[in-house]
Order: sequence, then C-alpha cells, then structure tokens
Amino acid sequence: MSFTLKDKILAKVQKPTRYTGGELNSVIKDPDSVEIRYGFVFPDTYEIAMSHLGIKILYHTLNERADTWCERVFAPWSDMQEQMEEYGLKLFALESGDAVTHFDILGITLQYELCYSNIVNMLNLAGIPPLAKDRGPEYPIICGGGPCAYNAEPIADIFDFFMLGEGEESIHETTDVYLEWKRSGKKDKREFLERVAKIDGVYVPSFYDVIYNEDNTVKSITPNNENAKSVIKKRIMSDFDKTPAPDKIIVPFGEVVHDRVMLEIFRGCIRGCRFCQAGYVYRPVRERSAKTLTELADKLLSSSGYDEISLSSLSTSDYRELRGLTDCLLKMTEEKKIGLSLPSLRIDNFSLELMNKVQKVRKTGITFAPEAGTQRLRDVINKNITEENIMKSAGMLFRGGWTNVKLYFMIGLPTETEEDVEGIAALAERVLGEYFAIDKEERAKNINITVSTSSFVPKPFTAFQWEKQNTRTQLIEKQKILQNSIRSRRIRYSWHDNKTSYLEGVFARGDRRLCDVIIEAVRLGCKFDGWGEHFDFEKWMQAFKNCGIDPDWYLRERDIDEVLPWEHISVGVTKNFFKKEREKAYRAETTPNCREKCAGCGVASFGAGVCYE
Amino acid sequence: MSNYVIKYSRGERVKYISHLDFVRMFHRAVRRAGIDFVFSSGFNPHPIMTVALPLSVGVTADGELMRVGFDSEFSQEQIVTLLNDSLPDGYKIVKLIKCDGKTPDFNSIEKAEYIIDAECTGADKLSCEDFLKNTQIVVPKRTKSGEKDTDIREMIYSVEKIAPQNGDMALKVCIAAGNSQNLKPETLVAAINKYCPDTQIGFFSVHRNALLDKDGKELI
Repeated sequence: MSFTLKDKILAKVQKPTRYTGGELNSVIKDPDSVEIRYGFVFPDTYEIAMSHLGIKILYHTLNERADTWCERVFAPWSDMQEQMEEYGLKLFALESGDAVTHFDILGITLQYELCYSNIVNMLNLAGIPPLAKDRGPEYPIICGGGPCAYNAEPIADIFDFFMLGEGEESIHETTDVYLEWKRSGKKDKREFLERVAKIDGVYVPSFYDVIYNEDNTVKSITPNNENAKSVIKKRIMSDFDKTPAPDKIIVPFGEVVHDRVMLEIFRGCIRGCRFCQAGYVYRPVRERSAKTLTELADKLLSSSGYDEISLSSLSTSDYRELRGLTDCLLKMTEEKKIGLSLPSLRIDNFSLELMNKVQKVRKTGITFAPEAGTQRLRDVINKNITEENIMKSAGMLFRGGWTNVKLYFMIGLPTETEEDVEGIAALAERVLGEYFAIDKEERAKNINITVSTSSFVPKPFTAFQWEKQNTRTQLIEKQKILQNSIRSRRIRYSWHDNKTSYLEGVFARGDRRLCDVIIEAVRLGCKFDGWGEHFDFEKWMQAFKNCGIDPDWYLRERDIDEVLPWEHISVGVTKNFFKKEREKAYRAETTPNCREKCAGCGVASFGAGVCYE
Repeated sequence: MSNYVIKYSRGERVKYISHLDFVRMFHRAVRRAGIDFVFSSGFNPHPIMTVALPLSVGVTADGELMRVGFDSEFSQEQIVTLLNDSLPDGYKIVKLIKCDGKTPDFNSIEKAEYIIDAECTGADKLSCEDFLKNTQIVVPKRTKSGEKDTDIREMIYSVEKIAPQNGDMALKVCIAAGNSQNLKPETLVAAINKYCPDTQIGFFSVHRNALLDKDGKELI
C-alpha cells in the first residue's frame, strides 16, 4: 500500500472538499455494473457549480438509469491545477475519483460565455483533444446544453453535439442512442452522430457548412448530411407540473453560493423585456402547481436537512398561486425553524406583508431593477415599470423599515442618450427624496442607496440581437457622466467592469472563426475569465491578434438582412417577432405581457403553457 | 430535553472537512434524522453543540467527542441508529450517553493518542527510546504570541513504532492535548526530524485514536 496522489495533493490545496466528493446524496455505483460513464461538467468552481439547479435535475435523472453512472466534473481552482500538473493527475470525476479521459460521455453545461476558456482548459487537463475532429471513438462524446447552446458557434468545433432547450428528455434520448452505438462496437463516430442528429433539439455542428462572405459575415449555413435538420428547434417540457424533479439533492460540505433547497416554481417569463435572452428563450411560461411544490419542498427539506428554502424562477410575483404556496410553505418553515427566501419579488402590499412574515427580525438589503433611468428608455426596453411604481415601492419599503436599497441599471442600452444616463442619478435622488419625505418617526435611520450599473451586451434571440454594443470608451464616458451627476453622499455608485462585458459581447454573437481564439487564449494561460483575479484582458487581446481576428467587428450593428451565425437555430420565437419588437423599441412603444395580451411571438407552436391558459 | 455526549469516528472520505463545515453538516444530519436540537436562547438562537478539540483538516479519527442537547423522545439506541442513517458515509456514531450537568467534562482531556503513518528515509535508524531520552526537545511551536522555540519534551508521553499501512514507518504516539497544553502531531514530526537526523519524515497522514484524561482513560 502507499498514499494516493490525491492524498498528497489535497494536503496542499485550499478547500480540499471541492475535490473529494462523498457528500450526502451523491451517487456511488459499481463501475462494472454500468455501461455508460457519464461526466456532467460544469466549467467553473465547485461552489458555483453546486449552486446550479440544472445540474441537480440532470444528475438525478441520469442516475435513475441502471445502465449509467453520472458523476460531477468541475474546474479545479488554480492551486489545484498546479498540483495536478506537477504530479500528472488528470481531470477526474468527483464520485469515483477516476480520470474522465476515457469516459463515455461528457455533458458540458454552458451557462455563460466567460466559461469557454475553462472548457478548453479542462479538456487539456483531461488529456482529451479539444477539437471534435481530433477525437476518435476512444475519447468521450462531448455534448453541451444550456443558455449558451443557442449560439454555440464559437465553441462549435469542440463539441460533437448540442442539446437545445430543456434537457430532461433529450439527455435520455441521446444516451439511449449512445448505448446502442456502444453495444454495436463503437465503430464509426459518424454513425453515432447521424443517429443522434435525428433527435429533436439535437444540433450536430459538424453536419453544417458555414460559408462566409468576403466581408466575413455569414453567407450561408447549410446541412451537409441528410440526417441534419435545416432548422433545429429547442425542446421544452410541455407539462411542467408533471416534469420529474429530484426529491434528493446533494448537500455540499463546504459553503456554496446557493446553499439551500431551490424550488423551481415555473419556467419562462411573461414579461418580454427586450434585452433579456432568458425572457425569450425559456418561453412559454409553464407553472408547477402549489400542491406539487409543497410536497416537493417537504421531501427536499427532509432528505437534505437544509434549514433554508428559496423559490426559483425569473419573476416570483408572476406565479399565479403565490399566496397559496407561501401560506403552505410558511406553515412548514415555521414548524421546522427553516428560513424562506423569496427572490425577484415586485414590491406591493402583498409582497411586503410576505417579507415581513419571512424576515421577522433582520431587514436585509433590497434590490430594485429599474434597468434604465428614464421612462422613455424603460419603454424602449419594455421594462413595464413606471417611475410612480418605483417611488411607491420605495416609500413602502422605507416605511416598512428597510434602509438598504440597491438600484440596478444597465448602461449602453440602444438609443441611450446622455439624458438617460443622468436620469439614473436623478431617479436615485428622487428615491432618496421619498425617504426624507417620510416623518422621522416612521422611517428607520441611516439610509443607504447603492446605484449599480452593468454594461448592456446584445444577445442572440432578443429584440436587440442586431444592435451595436457600446465601445469600452463610450461606457467609461457614461460611467463618468453618471458618477458626476450623483450629488448626494447617501448614494454610492458601483459599476461592473466593462472588459468582461466586451469579451462576453464578442462571444455572445460570435461565429465559428472564434474557436481558434479560445484555444489560443488558453494556450496563453487564460482561464476563469469570470473571476477578477484570473481574468487577463491583455492575454485575450493577444490571442485575437495572434489569430488575426478583430474582436471589435463582432460588436458592430448587424444588418437586418444579414445571415446571423445562429440562423439555423430556433427558440420558437420568430425572427419576424424580434424585428417587430425592435421597431417598437425605436418608437418607445411597449408590448403587454403574455397574460395581458398575446403578442404572437410564435412559441404557441409548442402547444403548452401560458399560450393556452 | 436532555444532554448527550457522543463519541464518533471519521474516515478517509470525509477527513478534509473543516470544523465549521462539520458543525453545519451535523446540524443538517440531525434535521434529517428527525431529531429536534435544543436551541440556545437569545437574539440569534443556534443549536446547542460543543465539539471537544476539533480535528484538523486531513486527520481521521476513531474516538471524537461532542456534547449536544436534543429535545427528543427517542431512546439512546434509536438516536444512534437515526443519526448513523443520516450521516454521510465516513462519519459514524460509536457511542452515545445521556449525561447531566458538566460530566464528563471535556476540560479533563489532557492527552491524545495518534497514529502517524509516514513516508521517510532511514526508518530503521529511528530509535524511539533514544528520542525520548532527550531531556529537552526544542522546536518552533505556534503559541498565542506567535511562533516561539519551545521545549515540548514534557508534552510527549510515548512514541512507539508499529506496522505502517501506507508509508515506510508508522508511529503510535501519546501527546498532550487539551486546553492547557496541546501538541500537534506535525510539531512532533518536526522534532523527530530535528533530533533524529538519520530519519527524515516527508509526507505523513495522521489518525487520532482517542482523546484521553490525565490517567490515559477515555472519557466515555
């Protein structure tokens, strides 16, 4: 006997429980009893990965298969990576500790563009060639899914296939096809890809030829294989109430970002904010019933032992059975001394009453998201909230004893003028005025308002997918204008770094030519670009230069008739609808939400959810 | 509502869990077991739980101790079964006793027995007897006022060789542990490397066999 490599390494790294597995409800199987070793990859740290709801759902459903062992694979932090490289330890799966180099399938979840370097870095650490064309049947099939899969062109050459939309069914269908292929001897990878390409929602990038014009815009995207669909449409779970949800979740040892039970109350959003990709791609809205959710909450709390539960959705207040659900949950949580958190609530009498019930003692901070400083610009982005709404809510909060208010905005929105930027400061001042207008006896002391801005990044499958992204100089200019417009010492201003927004913008609307840049950037040492201590903008710029690609070009305004790099993908919302929404935006005209009036976006084609309420 | 003292073991897979993470994990295990903790009174109530001499990260153990308050109708045997079913693999309750007041008192812990399994050169050249013949053993030791050269001889009660599991040499040692005097196994290893230069210990693992009182007896 001797000490294992991992033992020696773990003695030297921070937070070793990131790498040991063995948490409660993690699944251990006998590797000899399964036919498929599946690695579910989240290309970020343990703490981020374990906060993600999707991985819990898919891990659970894959492990219900007797033929499959699904394990978690996360990005090792840089101290761990150094040790792994020094000792020659390959990227491993948490449950078994086995190297993933020859697993059957690696399913990579694509949550944000800034994780692309981590994907390549992880494949390098696993000893797996990053480009799909260099991987024979001896290497794992690499597939992806999640929000970035809707325009995965910058990483298309890395992946064997993508699953678009909700994965609860397609992950099984693709695994079934893999199993058949494996049983038949795994001869030709192409044979597998042809079979998997026939599944709805599956996109096999190598089956499409992308031809470019002389000016580098896309000329055409055409299938080169008869099994490839001309347009790949995302999948949804039509009956969300009956969609299986895990009743057991892994309970991490170390603290993670969202360290609680998450209850997914509905999918989609009725609002239609024109900048919001999530608001469009998760359509149509489908709810779970309060009854199903209460039962699920009870099971999850007893199987995890968590003392906190949170509702999860894009907009809690839009859940139709919110009162009934919270009544049941409050009863449960009071009995068991469990905390209930309610994110994304609109402030009104009901929600205030609810918050008072929930947080009996502490009044934590509240975040408002007006997104834009003037009514005109709020109408442009279809954020259906008026200044009156904001003032009324602020007044209610201040009277209720809250004094820590954060106002969240975006700068760089389409049609934005100096007046709109100054409007942010003016709005914050008026919110402050609302506080001082309240009698001293009726308000708590020490008001604290934080104005926070991030930079707008145009995303595919939104009304703003054609817009020009503000340059970094423009954004810095706007940040200065805003900073100078804020007069009160009670208002603090914090802003998001625009270098990461720049890179995010390049990849969000990028094309296949960017893959070389990602591989080059990783060669130069880029990884963990979402982490301030690792993000190295200069290295990225060097990588673009080395590949002869001008990143600014990707931030330009796209011609309305241009073939977009994601032209062959459909989220169900029609391009024509996006065009109309863009025109309405220019006229500062709003669109009512799905429950007020159907706007005819196209997702009724799924035959489900709010479209048929 | 009763107080209990629990003796538990911790194995390989969970040995990297920090003390704070262990406390949180145990709270959750108790919830899963369906046992009610007694909460402290006050503005921010928390479950009543005291761990005797928390284990360092990376150390496995057989006889760790904690004191808890449960508000429960279950028998002692039932509590042990419920807890063991709720704990993650690697932790095991080996004994549980109901206790009144402060006894057994965790302050009476004065010693601990460890097994140090080590990769080293010159394993056969180490004589435990010779090492213990030193009347002074001075090594840098962390104290409240920073790292200081300290004579640790009187904190070492016994050192003997046993058959190694993973390394080249294993030592069973009994050293000071507790609130008045405490010696870390890694400090002892540094002392061996200094006073027995023919033997040089590299990587080693630590296992705590038991926490003992001044007579070398376990508390429960």
